Amino acid sequence: MKNKYMFGGAIIIVFLAVMIFLFTQTNVQYESSFAKVMQTGKTVKATGSWVKERNYEIDKTNNLFSFYMKDPEGNTMKVIYHGAIPNNFESSTSVVVTGKYHDGNFHASDILTKCPSKYQDQAGKKANS
Amino acid sequence: MIGNILLTLGLLAGVFTVIMYYLTYRGYQNTLSLSRIGFHTTAVMVIASAALLLYSVLTHQYQYKYIYNYSGSDLPTGLLMSTFYAGQEGSFMLWTFFTAVIGLILLDYTSKRGDLEPRVMMIFSLVLSFLLIMVSPLLKSPFNFIWLENDFIDLKNINQAFLSLPALQSFIFTDPQANKQFIQMGKELHAVLVSNNISINDFIIQGKGLNPLLQNFWMQIHPPILFTGFAMSAVPFSFALAAILKNEYRDWVKQAMPWILAGTCVLGLAIMLGGYWAYGVLGWGGYWGWDPVENSSLVPWIVGVASIHTILVQKKTQEKGGGSRFVKTNLILSIMTFVLVLYSTFLTRSGILGDASVHSFAEPGMAVYLFLIIFLGLFTVIGIGGIVYRWKFLTEHFTFEENVLSRELALFTGSVALIAAAIIVAVGTSAPIFGTTVQTSFYNELNLPIAIIIGFLNGMSILLKWKHTEGKQLWKQSQFAVISTVVLTLLVIFIGGVHELMLIILTLSSSFAFFVNTEIAYKIFKGKKTHLGAYVAHIGISLFLIGVLATAGHSQQKQVDLVKGQKVNVLGHELTFVGYTPFDNGKKYHMNIEVKDGNNVRVVSPIMFIAEFNNSLMREPDILVGLTKDFYVAPVSYSDSQENQQGTPATMKGGDKTTFEGKEVTFNKFVLPKDMSAMQSGGKFRIGVDMTISYQGKDYKVEPYMENEGQGPTYFPVELKDIDLKISITAMNATNAEVSLLFSSISKGQSTATAPKEILTIDASIKPFISLVWIGVLTLVAGFIISAFRRSKESLV
Repeated sequence: MKNKYMFGGAIIIVFLAVMIFLFTQTNVQYESSFAKVMQTGKTVKATGSWVKERNYEIDKTNNLFSFYMKDPEGNTMKVIYHGAIPNNFESSTSVVVTGKYHDGNFHASDILTKCPSKYQDQAGKKANS
Repeated sequence: MIGNILLTLGLLAGVFTVIMYYLTYRGYQNTLSLSRIGFHTTAVMVIASAALLLYSVLTHQYQYKYIYNYSGSDLPTGLLMSTFYAGQEGSFMLWTFFTAVIGLILLDYTSKRGDLEPRVMMIFSLVLSFLLIMVSPLLKSPFNFIWLENDFIDLKNINQAFLSLPALQSFIFTDPQANKQFIQMGKELHAVLVSNNISINDFIIQGKGLNPLLQNFWMQIHPPILFTGFAMSAVPFSFALAAILKNEYRDWVKQAMPWILAGTCVLGLAIMLGGYWAYGVLGWGGYWGWDPVENSSLVPWIVGVASIHTILVQKKTQEKGGGSRFVKTNLILSIMTFVLVLYSTFLTRSGILGDASVHSFAEPGMAVYLFLIIFLGLFTVIGIGGIVYRWKFLTEHFTFEENVLSRELALFTGSVALIAAAIIVAVGTSAPIFGTTVQTSFYNELNLPIAIIIGFLNGMSILLKWKHTEGKQLWKQSQFAVISTVVLTLLVIFIGGVHELMLIILTLSSSFAFFVNTEIAYKIFKGKKTHLGAYVAHIGISLFLIGVLATAGHSQQKQVDLVKGQKVNVLGHELTFVGYTPFDNGKKYHMNIEVKDGNNVRVVSPIMFIAEFNNSLMREPDILVGLTKDFYVAPVSYSDSQENQQGTPATMKGGDKTTFEGKEVTFNKFVLPKDMSAMQSGGKFRIGVDMTISYQGKDYKVEPYMENEGQGPTYFPVELKDIDLKISITAMNATNAEVSLLFSSISKGQSTATAPKEILTIDASIKPFISLVWIGVLTLVAGFIISAFRRSKESLV
């Protein structure tokens, strides 16, 4: 009995400790209020919708894709993503961007888009840089 | 109607079966044949419902809301059949179908093995009954009619012949934002249609269609195989509970073994098919994203693999009248495999993960959410509760000690490592429940050391003998493997160029597993071939790990603009974009690129098209597959105009002034056509933008304009070469009397005289030894199959 608990227990304890540590290092909060997003200096997942009226811009030389997002409280924020426009961006209303807000813009490393649920079921598509 | 009747009868028969098997288990004499009738009736109802659903899908029965939502009339037969399981209702139906079919085989299997049948089938029928509740008319039946809840149907899906009926007009309305017309479907419209003798099936002639991301070969095979794997996970659960019920633990492991092997094999294959789908079609260049849906199927698979190894120990120690080892572990792991499948269903279907996954589906509603919790909760309580109930007995009768240098301990430690990996993935995947997520580095950094440990233990557990091994003997046995491992790793370091410490250690570990297994497999191959299973499977896993570390550590990627006709050197290949060719009735385009290496010229053709389904740009990669590497090309964007997107935008109303590079621009007014009738009847008309430019004392009058021939506007810009100014219109809004313009400098932009350049932007990457990932998986599957056959024969003895 002792041997197996020693070996097994050692592995589990070591991994739990490392796991908890890495969890705190890599975890990313969801945030739907842009006021909070802009205040915190940390990487977050900001959720909101794309402001269609303000269009989007593609800068091919620098490989940047930028657009505007708004949160439920009506705040807007410019998002700059280092990569190509995601596949179904134009028909999406709900967007989740991962990144940090600084110097007046939200710099995103990841965009997750969702299709409108009003007339069809939601589906999502992820863009990774 | 009949579909729901069949499902309801099936549910009633299922409950009856559970009760009958319970009575049989308790000793009643006449209930066994009733139980079997009950189960067969349940299965027949399920199979008939599934057949009816398939028939309805193939004949486009849009009166069923599910079929309207997920199917369409212009799909090829294979994809049309796959719409059966494109949505929640259908995929639960598919799971229920496989469970019923497996149940029939299980019934036969258990009937031949003593008094096993009532206990196993009682639990299994309970599982089937719960699945039937999920697809019942109360919850997620695929046979619910489309008018039972109010919904809006796009008019383009309605038979035009009926649209002029006066009785229908009050149901039709227009959505100005989406620019579409809809009809409100509900009980009222249904009543009107019925009174006019119009069948819903004639009224609705087209469905919403299948999401274009799902329209490929993999959609036809990945979900069915996955749900077969899910259905099979209920089998070891049933066997474990059967043992707990009878309080006898020797036989169930031998009897359940072939089922666990087969189920784990199928589930593992399904998971990697999903990976291959992602790699070959989705275009982000990878095969595993640590996405919640991927992870939540992986966790029960890992636990299933762990259970196979600890059950092996129990079987071996029971031989020749010895004491059974790891009895508690095996019960717990077999129960957890199924519980984790239910948990994964809860995570992915309840909507609780919401924003975290690319696979997030529509909110299923409170009833389904609660039912999933009840389903998961009840079986967790039954399983864990059973173990707790028997805990005292188990600890009194089954507790032993292992020698350190023994196969038993190595296998146990290996299983613990696997379970640690499962916990890590489960924790990371469940994090969104608590409002946070982890990044993929969480999984990679934690699983890497575990993979190393497992590779090492795998090799050791084969070299070690049961019960005890002499140290000197151990060294003699492992000489070949150790030396080959060191040689291969050195080659990988110096020729492969791998320098990161962790990757080097992983190479050592997986090569060690590879060589140990290959050496033994070679010896066994000359003798009892049926015993090859485990070693073939382990060779598969070590190849897989080597493939993973090669692609993870050493893939190269570059984004390049390919101008048509111009050669570009990318990652050691010479690429030329030669143009595009339409296919699939002109709906899609192959973007053809010639790839030259030395004298060898091949063509790679990634695909781009606009999907009608949601009007978005779809992109698919093309791959030059090779044994030592894949050359992967994903299309990013294509442009064929000299549109200068750099410039200063401005939105102006009549009378507004603005300045660009020292030139003052005034928007005076719109110049409307004198005859407005063309505009109203959809004919050709023109609207001009009257502007005055003032610069260095001189005034210029210009009029850029828009022409519309009924299909949409075309904008014509103006250029003033004398003062280096170009004015383009980007949008016009007559309601607000606003025009959106773009001012740019002609000299800084592209010359207007050149022909439009066609530019294809691609992401090109090299994936070294990714073939080993797929070859590894196939080898693993082959190993499982060989083992399953062997253990199946043994289970009868």
